[in-house]
Amino acid sequence: MPAGEAFSERQNSDIVRAIRLAKRQSELPVSVYVGTLEGDTRAAALRLHGALGADAPRSVLVAVDPGSRRLEIVTGAEVRRRLDDRSTGLAAMAMTSAFQAGDLSGGIASGVLALAEHAQTQRSLHTDTR
Amino acid sequence: MGWTAAATVLLLLSGTPASASARLDDGEVSTKGLTVLQTLLIYAGIPAALFLVITLLVLAPGMARGPRYRPGLGWWAAPVWFNGPADADTAVHSGVPTIEAGGSSARW
Repeated sequence: MPAGEAFSERQNSDIVRAIRLAKRQSELPVSVYVGTLEGDTRAAALRLHGALGADAPRSVLVAVDPGSRRLEIVTGAEVRRRLDDRSTGLAAMAMTSAFQAGDLSGGIASGVLALAEHAQTQRSLHTDTR
Repeated sequence: MGWTAAATVLLLLSGTPASASARLDDGEVSTKGLTVLQTLLIYAGIPAALFLVITLLVLAPGMARGPRYRPGLGWWAAPVWFNGPADADTAVHSGVPTIEAGGSSARW
């Protein structure tokens, strides 16, 4: 296949909008990487997550490797408390089912929104008095 | 449709309006036939042109959109990082891999 941009303009803005919404609604910093994860995919994703620097403990990294069909969601030490592995698993499932159908950008956008939603409900369980 | 187009072209090429001849042309009197070139144009040229036009109409939208991701057919694009570090290369090289991380892995 010829080299080119991964996403069209509209797909790009869909992903950016989902990330912005996650930040605004749930104060959840999400970073999305789409590209090759060389070697051990989990180790590669952890390396990328570490590259986020000071923000890493508060951030979620979604790493997608469309070539080898792998998805890694990494949650930092701090954000882990309100976004448990079960929630990320559910978001991962939503994403991969879209990826299977060939919808890369749509899967990423809805996955990011799912993460944001889980982070929000998780937090309100502790703060809501209802 | 092909027949109508052929008939129209035939009329135009022969250059004789139907109303000009007083007698009905029922084929009894043989007139000048089509030349080889005319025959080829009508029966091969027009269908080929139609074929090309329809093919183009079908393929054009996909060609304009560019390649699309299909699972199992590899990945062609350069890596993209949304909301990532400004200088990704140095950040990855100088960064420390996260140790106490949660999350999940999945394949499709």
